[in-house]
Amino acid sequence: MEAESKDKIVSIEKPELIAPPDWKPVIMGILCNWCSYAGSDLTGTSRTQYPPNIRIIRVPCSSRVDPWFIIKALQTTADGVLISGCHPGDCHYISGNYYARRRFLVTKELLKMVGFHEHRVQFSWVSAAEGAKFAQVVKKVTDDVVKLGPLHLYKKENFNR
Amino acid sequence: MDYSNQIRDIAAKLFAEGKIDVFVGYRMSGFDDNQVPVVITDPKETSVLVFTEKSVFNLTNYLKADHTRNKKVGVVVKGCDSRSLNLLLTESQVKRDKLYIVGVACEGVVDDKGNKMQNCMECFIPDAVVFDEMLGKPQGKKDYIVNADITELATKGLIERGKYFEEIFENCIRCNACRHSCPLCYCAKCCIDQETSTLYNGTNTSSSAFHALMTWSLHLAGRCVDCRNCEKACPSHLPLHLLHKQNEKVIYENFQNHLAGVEEGDRGAFYKYSLKDPDDFIM
Amino acid sequence: MSFSTFVTDKAGLQKLFEAIISKHETYAPVEKFGKYDYKKVSSLKECDPDSPIAMTMSVKPLFFPRSSKIMKYESNSAGTSVSETEDDHLAVPRVILGVKHCDARGLQVLEAVNKWDYIDSDFLKRRADTVIFSSRCDKADTHCFCTSLDYDVENLDAMDVALVNGSGGKIYVQARSEKGENFLKESLDQQSAVGSQQPAMDDIKKQYEAFAASFRLKMDYKDVNEKMSKRFNSPAFEEASRNCVSCNTCAFICPTCHCFKISDVKIKDTGVRYKSYDSCNNVYFTLEAGGHNPRPAKYRRWRQRSMHKFVFYKERFGVNLCVGCGHCAISCPVNISIFDVVNHVASSPLES
Repeated sequence: MEAESKDKIVSIEKPELIAPPDWKPVIMGILCNWCSYAGSDLTGTSRTQYPPNIRIIRVPCSSRVDPWFIIKALQTTADGVLISGCHPGDCHYISGNYYARRRFLVTKELLKMVGFHEHRVQFSWVSAAEGAKFAQVVKKVTDDVVKLGPLHLYKKENFNR
Repeated sequence: MDYSNQIRDIAAKLFAEGKIDVFVGYRMSGFDDNQVPVVITDPKETSVLVFTEKSVFNLTNYLKADHTRNKKVGVVVKGCDSRSLNLLLTESQVKRDKLYIVGVACEGVVDDKGNKMQNCMECFIPDAVVFDEMLGKPQGKKDYIVNADITELATKGLIERGKYFEEIFENCIRCNACRHSCPLCYCAKCCIDQETSTLYNGTNTSSSAFHALMTWSLHLAGRCVDCRNCEKACPSHLPLHLLHKQNEKVIYENFQNHLAGVEEGDRGAFYKYSLKDPDDFIM
Repeated sequence: MSFSTFVTDKAGLQKLFEAIISKHETYAPVEKFGKYDYKKVSSLKECDPDSPIAMTMSVKPLFFPRSSKIMKYESNSAGTSVSETEDDHLAVPRVILGVKHCDARGLQVLEAVNKWDYIDSDFLKRRADTVIFSSRCDKADTHCFCTSLDYDVENLDAMDVALVNGSGGKIYVQARSEKGENFLKESLDQQSAVGSQQPAMDDIKKQYEAFAASFRLKMDYKDVNEKMSKRFNSPAFEEASRNCVSCNTCAFICPTCHCFKISDVKIKDTGVRYKSYDSCNNVYFTLEAGGHNPRPAKYRRWRQRSMHKFVFYKERFGVNLCVGCGHCAISCPVNISIFDVVNHVASSPLES
């Protein structure tokens, strides 16, 4: 993890809210079973280090991801969301990720419009052989979310941290 | 724009010929010069039907399965209404052979104060796209215009937009009038209201409003026809079109200029894909 | 018992409002997106205590909130513990300005059910801690029919302080309860006291005829009540409710509707239990755990709603549940008025 700076940790969407100095981001990761989840498995077996802030949920395909999951994650404990699937053309279900990427773009733009920073929700294509890429992706997302600070928008009532 | 007489004649004829059991149209409200929907089952009542620039409500809302199930229905549709009808037909919520569609080449409708509605000023397809009979002279398709409020919002900063939307979500009372007035929301039980789901939030707070409105607009993305039923229904007068028009803009600009319900057999933007869809935002 | 009446004018009233806002926690109608809702205000500029009649949302959420926490719970290996939530921010001494007569009467009507089989101490405490300033309307709006229902021109007891427009630009500020009396005594200087409430009452009676004549909607309530109680099985309910889209708007907006649902917001076994508005018009209202829906058909739900408003509540508590404010008709997506539904049923032929 990054060393804590002496500056206060603020939430980029609400700069008036200051986080406790021991705040650590929580990233929710939704990985497709066939490519990204296997890829993350490879990262683990290769002993490649990546930040432990990500909590992984496995889905059969990236197109299983309903925008609702992203909204629920953002409204509960998550400060950031990462969704990862197979590369276009390599989907185990042939075309799932083609449908998914349409939904991802619209969801991302809508969340941006209502006031979420665009780095709160990020997407990647990670194949089963790309263990190193997965670690890079998680590191990038975690670094981005650390810079953005904790998320305070529209949290469900007892999830404010 | 006044097709009241024609519609009365058509409805009377359809009843007389036994082609319909029910006719869905507009009638005067009885308390001011605005109009409300009317569902007519008795042929003698067709004299109340009217159609003018005050005929605002998207009547296809009444074609959702539980209202007119298994009946032969006559309905009046404007341009936007007919697009939502196209989607309902493709999504198997209505049967084409049980419908008699009176299409109108719409010249735009007005709100309660008499001003032309914003969606009419930006309308790109005023003529009904599916019909058995067309009233009025077709005006043809116009160019798609990005909603003016969306363009203005895009110029504001992140925090300013955040504050603006926070006020909107705080003023939502979770009455669900928007969902029930939307013709394309026909799920027997909305996913948001499923109490058995861990994603359920049964409160009426602003976080619940965010959850409901965002999920609703994302499930409607690519299918919304901008009829403004939702906005007119909202008791808090929330500018719900901002969410839907934002989605419409992203879809139009990125997915081969797709617009909901224009072609027959259209199922919305999320039911198809192109190999050329942008994915440079994906790592 | 007679309470004090003070005379002032428009400028004096503005000064009174400003003084109240500066000294007390005050709620008033605030305009947002073209609709008025009661919000806490810190200056007279933010609000409009003389808001137009039909634009105001009901004051009910300040006493029976749209969503309120009722308890917290935590479950772990040691057992389950239940605790109180934070202090109720609505049960503090406060003043509400600009409450219409119908809305204030709605609160009075709600007290009956809140003192019935379960004493709802939250609601009663909030009411006890609040001073309600009510303004009388000069004329009816499109959907109003308050004069037809339990309306007593001299009964202003639903509010603590009544504002009456008198002749010649006079405004009477009249206490209608002990709470209102004490409040006014400390807010207004004694020089403007008129002493008796008679001139205000005389003015009200004079204006009443013109006021009552301005109503488009009038009904003979006793007749309607009697007819409806005999028409439970009438097909007129189906005809009248055909346009309804079964959203929850009318019940949420209504100043007297009080149905609620309980839901938990939780992480695993720790959470908060909420009480939120519900509507009997909703398709899944009181859907039972086994899957049975007591009222799947729309006309049954409308029958329940209109009978509850105009027959059942009166039978049980002696007051009519509907106060004739017309908010439901204005807010309904298709402008269905309970007045029209009830009249349609009452005037329908009796089935043998």
